[in-house]
Amino acid sequence: MTTETIIQTENLNLWYGESHALQTVSMGIPKNRVTALIGPSGCGKSTLLRCFNRLNDLIDHVKITGTILLDNEDIQCSATDVVMLRKKVGMVFQKPNPFPKSIYENIAYGPRVHGVKEKSELDAIVERSLRRAALWDEVKDRLHDSALGLSGGQQQRLCIARTLAVEPEVILMDEPCSALDPIATAKIENLIDMLKQQYTVIIVTHNMQQAARVSDFTGFMYLGKLIECGKTVQIFEHPKEELTENYITGRFG
Amino acid sequence: MAEKFHMELSQLKQDTLVMARFSRDMLHDALQALIEQDTEKAKEIASRKKQVRDTTIALEERTYQLIAMNQPMAKDMRVIACTLKIITSAERIGRYGKDIANMVKHIKGQPDFGQPVPLMHMANQVIAMIDDTLAAYEVENLDRIAGLSFRDDAVDSLWHSIFRETLTFMMENPKTITRSTYFIMVARYLERSGDHACKMAENVHYMVTGERIEIK
Repeated sequence: MTTETIIQTENLNLWYGESHALQTVSMGIPKNRVTALIGPSGCGKSTLLRCFNRLNDLIDHVKITGTILLDNEDIQCSATDVVMLRKKVGMVFQKPNPFPKSIYENIAYGPRVHGVKEKSELDAIVERSLRRAALWDEVKDRLHDSALGLSGGQQQRLCIARTLAVEPEVILMDEPCSALDPIATAKIENLIDMLKQQYTVIIVTHNMQQAARVSDFTGFMYLGKLIECGKTVQIFEHPKEELTENYITGRFG
Repeated sequence: MAEKFHMELSQLKQDTLVMARFSRDMLHDALQALIEQDTEKAKEIASRKKQVRDTTIALEERTYQLIAMNQPMAKDMRVIACTLKIITSAERIGRYGKDIANMVKHIKGQPDFGQPVPLMHMANQVIAMIDDTLAAYEVENLDRIAGLSFRDDAVDSLWHSIFRETLTFMMENPKTITRSTYFIMVARYLERSGDHACKMAENVHYMVTGERIEIK
């Protein structure tokens, strides 16, 4: 099975001031697959995730070297339109963070920013995005109610729908289920599995069982380095590196 | 929690070794009883079957619980997979021991034509294969099972040789048929036990390296 690579990093290094948070990370993210990043707290997995939509730009004293190619274009160069980049590479965070607006407005916000004005078109985007996020049936009768009235799991799926509304290619998820109960978690996991038909998903998770369940490829990071990256079945059945083996089996520290 | 799980896993492995060596002893002692025509000893050996059965069920139960409660991965998962396979093969070996022990009373008093010479030799080969495989499982090192495939070839040759030799006895003197048939069965059980040693060794190899190989 050969898969096209959508994101490729080459010798990626990142410093927060003096702290060398990513050390020579070279990895490919296969298109239309789910890639999980695992590793102990502070290993750099969220930092790496945030490189893919240049969210680290918002942090002071960050220095980055190396290249990050998205569709073979370097996203690090000054000519990159960061707004367009973040449209292509959407993100979902640990805690659901809907805007304090209606369900409808949460979804319509992004397309409006990108110039969609027609109500009929917006209506269609809202319905399509909510359907893809497996939320439509639960909210179709109260689209104009506040998004804050939804349950945590519904809010998280709304955030995914909000990301989908601007037609991204890649969806970054940073611990998307850690604030959710097991049933809501299962719904998000099912959703991730469906999303990969159209999108590329990169998920950071502390939950190794979740990484094993949802991902096709897994990268294990430790102290800023990518220790091992491969097919998820291989990583969880017989990892090549002893460090990976020790982390997965809980023999760490 | 990982520490508790690893202690339980380590204990499961130790207890599996005890059970497997108990089964190995049944096979070994049954051969002794057969050679010595000791029906009392044979009876005692056959009675050990219940303990093998009970221990097998208890070990399997613990294994399933460890899987259910801990969702083991990587090496832990491979240790558990290997352990389950070893439990199954070890139980089989113990039952072959019981089957051989049960033959002693039927053979005793039958016209004697001498022991087929290679039978005890074959038994020693098979027992050594089992010992080395269990040692490899215990220390998680493949050195002692490196040449197992060749040793199994030798055991297979001995089985064919015993089969042919015993047929000759039967053709020469039909009175030896009962005894000879039992000896053929013993040789067959030994050959099967050798195969179980190979099966266990394949799983030990998987446990240690994560790679599947065939030992035959």
